[in-house]
Amino acid sequence: MSNLIEMSRITKAFGANVAVRDVSLELKSGSVHALMGENGAGKSTLMKILAGVHRPDSGEIYKDGEAVSFESPRHALDFGISTVFQELSLLPNLTIAENMFLGREPVNAIGAIDYRLMHKGTQKALGDLGLSLEPSTLVSELTIAERQFVEIAHGIKADAKIFILDEPTAALNAADVEILNEQIRRLKADGKAIVYISHRMDEIFEICDTVTVMKDGVHIATRPLSELTPESLIAMMVGRELETLFPEAGRAGDSALLEFTDFKLTQDSEPLSFTIKAGEIVALAGLEGQGQREIVRSAIGQFVPYRGTISVRNQTVTLPVAESSGVRSLKALGVGFVPEDRKEEGLLLSLSVSENIELGIHSSRSAILPAQRLRDTVKQTMESLGIKVAGPTAPVASLSGGNQQKVLLGRYLALDIDVLIIEEPTRGVDIGAKAEIYRLLRNLADSGKAILVLSRETVELIGLCDRINVVHDRTIVAEMPAKNASEHKILEAALRQYETENEL
Amino acid sequence: MATQSFKTYFGRNSRQGLWYVPLLITVVGAVILTVYTDDFASPQNLSNLLSQAMPLIIVAIGQMIVIVIGGMDLSVGAIISLTTALLALDAPAFVLVPAVFAITALIGLVNGYSIVKLNVHPIIATLSVQFIVVGFARILRPVAGGSVPDIVVSCVAGTVFGIPLTVFWAVIVLLLGWKLIHGSRYGLHLFAIGGGVSSGQEDAAHNFGISDQRNVILAYVCSALFAALAGFYIAGRISSGDPGVGETFALDSVTAVAIGGTQLSGGIGSLHGTLFGAILMVLLSNGMNLANLSAFLQGAIKGAILLLVVSLQSRKKMGL
Repeated sequence: MSNLIEMSRITKAFGANVAVRDVSLELKSGSVHALMGENGAGKSTLMKILAGVHRPDSGEIYKDGEAVSFESPRHALDFGISTVFQELSLLPNLTIAENMFLGREPVNAIGAIDYRLMHKGTQKALGDLGLSLEPSTLVSELTIAERQFVEIAHGIKADAKIFILDEPTAALNAADVEILNEQIRRLKADGKAIVYISHRMDEIFEICDTVTVMKDGVHIATRPLSELTPESLIAMMVGRELETLFPEAGRAGDSALLEFTDFKLTQDSEPLSFTIKAGEIVALAGLEGQGQREIVRSAIGQFVPYRGTISVRNQTVTLPVAESSGVRSLKALGVGFVPEDRKEEGLLLSLSVSENIELGIHSSRSAILPAQRLRDTVKQTMESLGIKVAGPTAPVASLSGGNQQKVLLGRYLALDIDVLIIEEPTRGVDIGAKAEIYRLLRNLADSGKAILVLSRETVELIGLCDRINVVHDRTIVAEMPAKNASEHKILEAALRQYETENEL
Repeated sequence: MATQSFKTYFGRNSRQGLWYVPLLITVVGAVILTVYTDDFASPQNLSNLLSQAMPLIIVAIGQMIVIVIGGMDLSVGAIISLTTALLALDAPAFVLVPAVFAITALIGLVNGYSIVKLNVHPIIATLSVQFIVVGFARILRPVAGGSVPDIVVSCVAGTVFGIPLTVFWAVIVLLLGWKLIHGSRYGLHLFAIGGGVSSGQEDAAHNFGISDQRNVILAYVCSALFAALAGFYIAGRISSGDPGVGETFALDSVTAVAIGGTQLSGGIGSLHGTLFGAILMVLLSNGMNLANLSAFLQGAIKGAILLLVVSLQSRKKMGL
């Protein structure tokens, strides 16, 4: 195995903030190299340097022993380095095919873009990933998971030698991840070098050969994964033994806080109902696109179900509710909603931490009342959540994913809600912050609140929740206590090979 | 482009915007005018209509190029005025014509550089440049007058094989605009940059390996050159220089582009929409003149139509 590329003693600072300090990295052909570390450890910056997005302040990059430097992403791509970026960076107003070929569109004899060729190439690349999307579909019409796949297809289609996959699976479920893994194994067999960044431990151990751990911009260690266990790897990342990722299960109270009754998502779907008691965390699990999201979004009026009622503390709302007032009427009942896409749907990125937290309180008061100074509330909330930030006036955009998620949680915490509905509580959040968020959610439940969780990460649902409802084909097909659940059982239930009665 | 699906053009989420709305209104308006007035459908009036619309069509194409990337060019009117003033200088045509295009390209460069390198907001940058350019036009020719070279006039007025030259202008300008906006990699890159801007990921196009800065600067140069072309056309029509002739074009071109379904936030729009938007605006004036409406009422009606058409295409509905 030869070193395809070598990054030597790279340093990069943004202003006074040194993101990467004196880090070296060697990539070998035919090998998958995991890059791990908490958010803000400098992984993405290091990879953006390799991808030509940033230029290093000092340090060298060698390709096949020769020093190279990249002026632009285009330039790095010409050198055979292809990247799937962490942030979904597809352009929504372009078609799938246009996104796939952007920057290197084929042209025909008269100098116009050769759409026929582009559509063919796109169909093939998507086909390799088991997708049959129409190449002329605008990206804005795709779901998040589909976009992620297009992004992956775009990255691995390139005729490159080195592939950087920066959290490619953040929006994917287990079955989709397996499809991606197959592609990675294929690339590996073709002698390519792959850098794989992910916060999902199981993926790292399944497909990676070597791991480099970074912390606070510094290289900690590079080891073959065969020498490590998940626990020792986490210890290297956080610099301390993380005793448990998940908090201990709580005890459910007696009073039902949130109830879905006689709920039918569509006219021909089976009715479903479920109850969450005070002190409970309950999950909706299942394969991608089986209706979990729609069930939750029905409650806030972003999806129109066929019929159903939800009751909060015995106050009943008949569905469907109007989209314009859904979230507000729910909040009036004491229900908070934390959406999956916190940047698009949750936070106001350019506003400060305090403003984002205060927002919830302000919105439940009359609009013409003068805005209260809520300094103490904000301070209290930030302290109780352990939000790491320079001060309450820092813009939310400058925070790491984990801290952003805490700000969003803080908005509802400050409101003193009874029920929390949360989608993907730890999407794009590093392992240390994950544990903190799990603990926060458990503490909330212990203080007598009811929490409904939606997540693609089954492991997370098993570890965090008390009960798991498995959703398949727009209805709940199984319910199991989390302590008896396993990924295998949930998958089986989701695939309807599982009889609830046998288990309970 | 023949392989682009029907949906890409007509779907609710089409990147082309709602270009058929101004087309429909134009057709309905034309039918009404044909029925209720004697003169509207006469070849003479239609020919007039096209030559009235021509400068706005040309400017609007350039304006659309910068609006697609999420920018705006308010200096186009001043460039038109300057072009006519320059062309009415006392010098031979082979000096004046290249000089006009060189100077206006330079103005476009100034616009582009101020926006990209000095980080000035497009509206402020082009508004400032507009004042500078109008100033120079007034210095060159304080009041309307002078005369432009004969060759300029004969490029615009008159007929070839009985077809008005304006028709040839229309064909050439539209082909040029089509090639730039819909038929080239450059055009796609403009949409990519605009899509990035309007969806809040300014770096996206750059990360795809598109040199966004150069493309943005080039867009402002294109816009300036289209304005110069419109100025050339007007100079040929009025055969003299007029430092005030371009005044209304900055806002009129933005209006035409917006009516044509191009999103001011960038990333969505079409050449045909812009064409229909410009024609609709001129048709409205023409029709309202034929109907003897007061100029003040005409302005109010234009505004109402702009509001109506643009309200049909809020960003959410377009899927961005």
